[in-house]
Amino acid sequence: MPSIDDVTDAPDELSDERAEELLEEADLVQDMMGEVCPYPQVEAKKGLQKIDSGELLVQETDHVPCTENVPRAVGDDAEARVWRSGDAKYRIYLRKQ
Amino acid sequence: MISTIVVAAVVGIGLGVFLQKGRFCFVNAFRDFFAYKDSRVTKGVLAATLLTMVFWGIAYQLGYYQGFWTPRWGLTGLVGGFIFGVGMTYAGGCASGTLYRAGEGYLQFWLTLLFMGVGYAGFTVAFPTLQTTYFEPLTFGEGVSLFAISPVPAGLLGVLVAVGALLVYATLIGRTGTRADAEERSTAASVRPAAMLAPLVGLQQFARGTAEYFRGVAEAARNPLEASKQPWDPRSAALGITAVAVLWFTQVSIVGVTGPEARWTGYLLSQVGVDAGSFEYWGSILFQGQGVGVTVDMVMIAFVIVGAALAALWSGDFSLRVPKRRRLPNAVVGGLMMGAGSRLAPGCNIGNIYSGIAELSVHSFIAAAGIVAGVYVMTHWIYREVGCAI
Repeated sequence: MPSIDDVTDAPDELSDERAEELLEEADLVQDMMGEVCPYPQVEAKKGLQKIDSGELLVQETDHVPCTENVPRAVGDDAEARVWRSGDAKYRIYLRKQ
Repeated sequence: MISTIVVAAVVGIGLGVFLQKGRFCFVNAFRDFFAYKDSRVTKGVLAATLLTMVFWGIAYQLGYYQGFWTPRWGLTGLVGGFIFGVGMTYAGGCASGTLYRAGEGYLQFWLTLLFMGVGYAGFTVAFPTLQTTYFEPLTFGEGVSLFAISPVPAGLLGVLVAVGALLVYATLIGRTGTRADAEERSTAASVRPAAMLAPLVGLQQFARGTAEYFRGVAEAARNPLEASKQPWDPRSAALGITAVAVLWFTQVSIVGVTGPEARWTGYLLSQVGVDAGSFEYWGSILFQGQGVGVTVDMVMIAFVIVGAALAALWSGDFSLRVPKRRRLPNAVVGGLMMGAGSRLAPGCNIGNIYSGIAELSVHSFIAAAGIVAGVYVMTHWIYREVGCAI
């Protein structure tokens, strides 16, 4: 399916089911609802410093730009996936490398 | 008058939609470039500014324009711009970003707008004093646009500056590419030709990137409804913003945000009984002695909020977002600094970085430098615990 994602360079999206599964096994969940950039970026970097390699950090956010900015901010430190509820709620999944 | 209102609605809604869909944010553009060398949004901002400059130059040369905004130049741009840059980085949204986020349902940015209003009002009260203690000593010359004084025709000048900027950009990305190649080969002889080829390599990369972008857009256009709900590339936003800015330039003026906001503050205060017209700054400068009322640019920026709200609703990004208490200082202090800074400069990120550079205004080059310096300092402060790339 052709998508605008081809030119936006956004991280891969998770299905609703997979997003729930992964949330349960998360090692650190950060509540970033109501927060705007750059604070979620800073918190993501701090959070990744706290967990071990292979562990999972999940940020819950309602700030759309975070779904692109946070994954780019952590760069190679983590593998990023996002989940969009379609209702202005998002989760960013960061698996520490 | 009715046709001007229609233009204001079209331009305002268009700006709101493109800003929201492209996440077109000047704080993001500079902050993330300083913090992570992430230049994606920066490129969008540069593309919009350069494209607008080319088209405004052509429109000016052909006589299809309504006027430039060229404040007198001096250190005011540097000082005010710096305060504005620190404020917008702290607040988490520039003047245009605050508008589109207000439209997306962020109560925090309505609070930012409110405190920007307090900043405008405070400035207005202090204006007579500032006039003698700040503006007079720090202003050196009459404001001017290079389009108006250059011996080169404006349209050609716009194209030349854009081509020059493209060559610098191509050299920079080309050099990064060739340096890596040269290190791999690690022979001194191959380094020199590689360095000279940098602009060519960069231009090739630029052409490839552009072609890829248009292929992506063409593919996305096969399924327009689906694609319109997804986030857009900042380059798409840049093209859209350029189109509505050209319409605005030929019909009304250059695009500004904080000037009209400062007028809104005066107008709203006059509605609750304040004699706004009796203050020198509102009466004779912002409303130019025409009386305190709703002007067409005020209508336009109100429609930016509407456009952003529509785009957010369409994409499923709209929601009433309540800020956390610990973020309230960002809205209050950031808003105040943006309000006051944009008056001290004068002009915000849109007036100075986008429109000001697109109209080659001498004042705006200085103010843009001030704003970027403010973002740089504040970014380092915010990221002090996790480190910055630059």
